[in-house]
Order: sequence, then structure tokens, then C-alpha cells
Amino acid sequence: MKKLISMLAVLTLIFSVCAFANAEGTTYQVGILQFVQHPALDEATRGFREALTEKLGDSVVFTEENASGEVPNCATIASQLVAKQVNLIMANATPPLQACTNATGDIPVLGTSVTDYQAALEIELVNDATGINVSGTSDLAPLDRQAEMIRELFPEAKTVGLLYCSGEANSIFQIKKVEEYLTAKGIETKRYAFTDSNDLASVTQTATECDVIYIPTDNTAANNTEAIANIVIPAKVPVIAGEEGICKGCGIATLSISYYDIGWKTGEMAYEILVNGADISTMPIEYAPQVVKEYNAANAAELGVTIPEDYLPIGE
Amino acid sequence: MAENEMLVLKNLHKTFNPGTVTQKTALDGVNLTLQKGDFVTVIGGNGAGKSTMLNAIAGSFHIDSGSIILGGQNITSLPEHRRAAFLGRVFQDPMMGTAASMNIEENLALAARRGQRRSLSWGIRADERAAFREKLATLDLGLESRLGSKAGLLSGGQRQALTLLMATLKQPELLLLDEHTAALDPKTADKVLRLTNQLITENGLTALMVTHNMKDALALGNRTIMMHEGRVILDLDAQQKQDMTVEDLLAQFEQVSGRQLANDRMLLT
Amino acid sequence: MNITQLLNQLPGAAAQGLIWGIMAIGVYITFRILDTADLTVDGSFATGGAVAAILITSGVNPWLATIIAFLAGLMAGLITGVLHTGMGIPAILAGILTQLALYSVNLRIQGLGTDLGSRANVPLSINKYKNMLVSLRNVGNFSIENPIWLMLLITAVLIGIMYWFFGTEYGCGLRAVGSNQQMARAQGISTGRGKIVGLMLSNGLVAFSGALMAQYQGFSDVSMGRGAIVIGLAAVIIGEVIFGKLFRNFALKLLAVSLGAIIYYLVIQVVLWLGLNTDDLKLLTALVVALFLAMPYWRNHMAARRMKGGKPVG
Repeated sequence: MKKLISMLAVLTLIFSVCAFANAEGTTYQVGILQFVQHPALDEATRGFREALTEKLGDSVVFTEENASGEVPNCATIASQLVAKQVNLIMANATPPLQACTNATGDIPVLGTSVTDYQAALEIELVNDATGINVSGTSDLAPLDRQAEMIRELFPEAKTVGLLYCSGEANSIFQIKKVEEYLTAKGIETKRYAFTDSNDLASVTQTATECDVIYIPTDNTAANNTEAIANIVIPAKVPVIAGEEGICKGCGIATLSISYYDIGWKTGEMAYEILVNGADISTMPIEYAPQVVKEYNAANAAELGVTIPEDYLPIGE
Repeated sequence: MAENEMLVLKNLHKTFNPGTVTQKTALDGVNLTLQKGDFVTVIGGNGAGKSTMLNAIAGSFHIDSGSIILGGQNITSLPEHRRAAFLGRVFQDPMMGTAASMNIEENLALAARRGQRRSLSWGIRADERAAFREKLATLDLGLESRLGSKAGLLSGGQRQALTLLMATLKQPELLLLDEHTAALDPKTADKVLRLTNQLITENGLTALMVTHNMKDALALGNRTIMMHEGRVILDLDAQQKQDMTVEDLLAQFEQVSGRQLANDRMLLT
Repeated sequence: MNITQLLNQLPGAAAQGLIWGIMAIGVYITFRILDTADLTVDGSFATGGAVAAILITSGVNPWLATIIAFLAGLMAGLITGVLHTGMGIPAILAGILTQLALYSVNLRIQGLGTDLGSRANVPLSINKYKNMLVSLRNVGNFSIENPIWLMLLITAVLIGIMYWFFGTEYGCGLRAVGSNQQMARAQGISTGRGKIVGLMLSNGLVAFSGALMAQYQGFSDVSMGRGAIVIGLAAVIIGEVIFGKLFRNFALKLLAVSLGAIIYYLVIQVVLWLGLNTDDLKLLTALVVALFLAMPYWRNHMAARRMKGGKPVG
């Protein structure tokens, strides 16, 4: 029975490829696989869609899917997009990037909201390009500057707690680097890892023993900023966040990159590939066009932190 | 004389839930010796300790003090499944003796290997199947043509008969029967009881049978013991059994225990 | 909504279903044969993936890596078994405890060789490790590399081995443990040891499946086992509901479990194809599984009604 179905499916595949080759249209099929719903990833997707819509108007059709935070879903949806023979896939976050890269070696895959492509794909970047059908944008904000920000705002701080989800490779990558930078500045660091949203509160509570807490671009934290705020604000422990969404929820300041901007940049890259035939394997990974020092006015006032002039308040 | 002893129970004590409100001294110094080939019926009131004694021998729990010697071997500290090599058991609950989700021949095959190391050779051999069919035919329940039926589909009486067959398939040193006809209708109970008697006498088995039926207790076996409050208070040999009637037995009980036998089931059947 | 598109997606569903089917067979052993609910599987699935990933990235042959993952699963089952039989912890709790512990263990396994010592995610790109057993990449090809062929073969061989094993004297003994513990003990079978062996075998299969899954999706992630027990039970029950009357033979019953897993993934595929919001995916899956579970109950209910003359009774 199974053999019959798969044979049938393969035959239909062959048929539809032929049919597709005949139907000459300028409509581009673009698949989007977003890992989970939260503000940063949502913004990236929004930027991507708007960039392409602006340039292509009605000639682009999106298939947007969300893996609901479940890793197995990524493989399912990735193979679905490939079976649909989209012209390009946008993978929003690391598990989707990995699943899509494995699902296809031909269809161009543009990643976004991925911090470290080398680690995610186990690949050596040559001139910042992957050499395979993958490129994209990274949400890495300069970690050394983030470490500096901690020093700048809290010169007397002696201990910094690094709060993150042990299940997120991106977070582990970031806190490792921040740890190095802070230690070089003579600041003591300690790691506080939670496994998921269930023990996030208790781990955060323990972390308040430090002078300052740093949270990287952690998906789980980004989804639970209120819970974190309910602990750190009363405890009067300032939080430096890796991205704006987290800062808005529970932080004092952040070196912000705009997820919308990197989403937009990804859209531009997609346009180059689809319309101008750019070769994805030589396109370098792009980073955020600009970084802005931002602060959360309400929280800063609450904790009595003085913010220097060059910081911008996060808008409502 | 010791060579002919099959079972020796020395001063068994067991208290359940010690130190709590539900504390119960189930065995209060049980002493009993069975010779090879003894078919002993056990009677007594509610809570006298009859089933507890059987369960103690089987190893369902560990006794507080005393010793159990079976066939010359001290089995007091052996776990239940290790004692199974020497014992055949039929329970009061007809469902308890067979595996409902496995079919009849598989149940019998399991019983044929009771107490043996189970290897990776096939679970049932062709020659065994033929032997099982023969044995099942003697039950006269039509089971010999249903070897492939799941045991769970059988009636209570059929399952109990099957359990009995399984208990004696591999000759046990001691057969323990715990009110095994109590949950059956009169006709089936009668059939199973006759079968029990047949199997025991034909194979010369040593058996302990707990029963609530005083007539049966006196009619079957070569010895009858009566238990009360965790102790054996009466021990009748074959001759005494023959001369005894149920009324006599009741009178004896009152005399020895100093109170009336309080067990409706025993009196009314 | 294009029917050809749906057909295109079937091979993917079939391949994933077959891989999860192996895990479901492991769940079947503890759930139906040993009558235990074993929640270790959420952890041991990821352990299989972690072990295979770390070995493959170190250059070990994928076949060997997958088999070693099976052995790791045996260990996980052993731990649960000892917690349950040796320490008297109820089976469900024992499983949860092991699964909890395995989260940290999996992080450590994946972190071997890194300076942090723990890693949440290990990439296994098909571009780099071309000799992996199965891959998402090949699911659309009509070639020998299509993971479906190998999975069919593995499933068949596995069912054959299970059928043989549970037909041996020892295997029959294990089945007795699950069917009636008192009776098993009365036949001289150690129920404690039997449960441990059953749990070991089951988790070995689950870890084996996890190793295959990591290779298929191209990475091993410490959270990849989350929800595995639900998928396993759903597959077992769907298989029984649909094929229960047809398949009486034990081997066929195991096949039904595998088919159940495939049907489960087909359902997910259809939900995605219908264009329904993927945020609602879990709700819809729950509804579908609930429907399957309710079917035997309703069938009996209908039969009883018909016997009463077809008139709706109170």
C-alpha cells in the first residue's frame, strides 16, 4: 500500500514538474517557515514580506507556515515547501534553517534571525558566504559593544548573571562570547540556564543575586518577558537585553538591531536571487545595517538608572 | 520419617500493618507437617488464616518469624517466583490463574516450563501441542479444539479448570488450592472438584485445599485441619474424618476454640 | 488547494511516519505488552539523536552510530526499570524522572568536545555527511536513496525480529508479565526482571528511531523528543482502531502500529495542505486523535442501540 502511494506520488511529481515547466508565468512562489511566534521573529517576517511585496507586488505569492515551536514540525513543513516546489524559502530561526537546508540542495534558502550560520550548518564561511544554496541575515549585534554597555551603565557592577535557555544554541553562543568580554574587563560572570518556560521563573529568581543580568536574543525569554519583569523589577536588578523586544518587556537597555530591518534586507536578497538571478552560494551573510543604543524609560526610572544622552528611548 | 515429609511449617508468625489501627495477626504460630501424598483439606472461620497460610507458603509475602521447609529445602527467604518451581497453585479468582490476552496453548506452554530457565527457543513445540490436546480432552469442556482461543474468552469455570491443569502439568511438589471452586456455579464447581480429586489421587500429589464446604472437606482427602485465629486447632486423620459428621465437627470446634463457629457459608452449605 | 500538491507531500509524510513508527513500536511494547505507561521516551528519543549526532560528526559510520544509539536507549530503559522495580517508584513517575534526567544528559552528550561542555543543537548536514542512512533531501526522488525504501526494510526486519522474540519461551514469559503478573510469578517468571527487560527493549527502539530522525531532519536538538509519547500512543491507538479487526497476528499488529504512525503524519500533512493556520496545528491534531480514540466506544454504543430496536434510548 505504502509503495503504491509513494510510486503514485513520485509519478505525479514528475508530471507536475513537466506541467510547471510549460506554464510560463512571472509569479514567484515564496515559502516562509517561522519557528515560533514572538515579536522579533514576527518583525523579521513582516520586513521580508513588505520588501518583496514592494518590489514585486502581485507577482509574489507567499506560503507562510509556523512550526509552533516544535522541532519535528520543521522537518514536516520543510518537506512540504519543497514538495510544493517554491522558488525560494525563507527560514526564520535556526531549526527551520537546518531543516530547510537538509530538505533541499537546489531551492535557495535564505535564513534570518539566525545568530551563527557557521555553527548552525557546521560550515566554514568563505568570504562570509556558505558555498551552498544558503545565505541570509544574522541578528547578531556586536557582543563586545553589548559588554561595553554594561560597563558604561553600571560601572560599579561586580557580578553579571547570564540568563538563557539551555536548549537554544544561539543563546549559548552569545553568552559564551559576552562572558569572555566581561571577564576581560575584570567583571565576574555566572551562568543561569533554564530548560524552558516552566523553570524560567525560579532560575531568574536565583539570578537576582547578581548586580546586573544579561539576556541574549533568547526565544524562550522573548516569549516570557513579563514573567521575568515580575521578578527583576521588584528585586531592583537591571537587565541588559540582546534585543529590543526583550528590553521592552523587562530590560533597561539594549543594543538594538531592528528585526524588521534584517527581514527587509533578507527580502532584498530574495529579490536579487529571484529576479536578477544572483547566485546564492556566493552571497555573503548580511548583518544588521545599524545598531542603536536604546533604553526602556519606565524601567530605568523605576530602578533609578541614569541613562546617557546618546540612548534612544524605546517607543511605545 | 523426615524423608517422607513434604512440607514442614514451623511456628509461622505474620502480623499485617503492625502498629496501626488495622493491625491483624493473621498467623499466630502455625505448625504443620505434611507427608508425601497427603491430601489435606483446610477449613475455618473468616479471618482464621487459611488463605494467609497458603500465601505464606507460596511466598506472596515474607513471614515475620518461623520457617517453611518444602521437600527438605528451606524456602523461607526465597522470592515468590523462585518457589514456583515446586508449587502448583489455583486461586480463588478464576481470572487470576491464566493470562487473558494469551491463548490456551500459550498458557499451557508457559505452565509446562514453570520454574525453568526460559531460553530463546520457540515458545511451543509441535509435540507439546498434541500432548496439550490430549490433556484438555480429559477435562471434557471442549477446550481441546480451541487451543488458539484467547484465555480471556473462556468462562470462569473453564478458566479455573485450565488453571488446575496448568498447575499439575508439570508435577508440583505441593499443590495449593485456595477455595478454588468458591466463585463457580454449583454444577461447574462440582466438575472442577471431581477433576481436582482425580488429578491428585491419580498422580499421588501432596495437596493443601482450602474449602468453605464442610461436607467436601470431610469427604475429600486423607486429612482435615481446622484453623482458628491464626493457628491449627484441629487435625483429623483419615479414620476420624470417616466417622465425623458436620454437626460433630461443629461441636468439636466449639470445644477446642471455646466459641461458636461464625461462618455462614460454612454452616449453610 | 491542489490535489497534486497533496500527493507530492505524501512521500514526506510516509517517510516521517515510518521513522516515528519505529518509536511507536517501542511504545507498543511497554503500553500493550507490559501494560505500563512509559514516559521515558520523550527523553530517550533525543538521547538516540544526540548519541548518533555526536558519533557521526566524529567520523563514525552512520550504521554503527545508529546501533550505538540503540544501546544508549537500552541504558535509559534500564534506569527507569531499576527506579520502578528496585526502588518501588510507580512506573509513570519513574519514566518522568528518567526523562527529566536525560535532558541534562543529552545536553552533555551533545556538548562532548566543545569547550562549553553542553550543546543544545548538533547540525548533521547531508552536504557534509553524505553516507547518513536517511535524509529529508531524498524523499522526493525515485531512487534507491529515497529514505522510504530503507525505512520499509528496517520496519520489516524489525517486525520480524519482534515476532520471533515474543514467540520464544523468554518472550512468552514477558508477555505473561504484561498480561497477568500474579500468574507470571506463579509460573516462575520474575516480574521485576521482565519489566526491566521490556523497558530496555522499548527505549532501545525509541533511541534507534531518534537516531534515524536526527539524520533525516539534518540535526539533533535536545528538545526533539518533546511530545514523543503522545505521537507514539496516537500511532498505537490509530493502528488498533483501523486495523484491529483485520490484523490478529502479532506481526501484523506491529505493522498496524507503524501504519498508525504514517496515518498520523498524513493527517498533519492534510491539515497543513488545507492551509489552516499552523498555530492551530496542535488543537487539530488533538481533535483527530480524540476522534480515533472515540471510535471503538461509539461503535459499541451504536451496536447496543441497534439491538434495542433502533429507537434512540433515553
